[in-house]
Amino acid sequence: MDRVIFIAPRALTGYEPMALNTQTELSPDETDAILGRHETGVISLARDDDPYAIPISYGYDPDERTFYLRLVSSPESEKRQFLASAPAARLVVYEEEADTYRSVVAQGQLQEIDRDDLSVEHIEQYGEAKRPLFEIWGEEKRDLDINLYRLVAETLSGREIIVERDH
Amino acid sequence: MGSEEEAEYTFVCPECGESLDVNASMKDALLDRGCVICGASVSRSAFA
Repeated sequence: MDRVIFIAPRALTGYEPMALNTQTELSPDETDAILGRHETGVISLARDDDPYAIPISYGYDPDERTFYLRLVSSPESEKRQFLASAPAARLVVYEEEADTYRSVVAQGQLQEIDRDDLSVEHIEQYGEAKRPLFEIWGEEKRDLDINLYRLVAETLSGREIIVERDH
Repeated sequence: MGSEEEAEYTFVCPECGESLDVNASMKDALLDRGCVICGASVSRSAFA
């Protein structure tokens, strides 16, 4: 594993003495493990110069390096506009544990799965995907427009940073 | 339906109201994993 030591300049941190951070690139197995033990992340989309980031829940297939998502939108919504025409996307999942911070960034194209193309495999994958948080919508599910998407990771990277503090 | 098996059932989700034509394998998967669209639990009464 590559290991890089960052020494934060005192002028930037304001801390005395200086914080010493160790950043490590995670292995594919470690990266998959993080994605497997979490079920939510933040996905970012872009349209021209406008960014759009939303929290999502996902299911993850480590063999295919593919994320399965259900996204809820309405025809007039901002989300729908960003979801049009298979946008480029980045998904970030992170965790923190005491002084250890880990993050995974997946980059790829968000593709909608047509209802007519659904298969047994899709049903099984979406069984792993957690249900969207419908309670925040205040509408019956019948009134929501739920679409299925997958994100095949073209790049997938995991990082771990241990912050060594002077307690 | 993406499978080459012929559709034998019409699935209607009791929660989201989604209607899908499915084959026997997909029916079993829906019963086991829940509605593919909304994630709701599915019983045999959801199939016609």
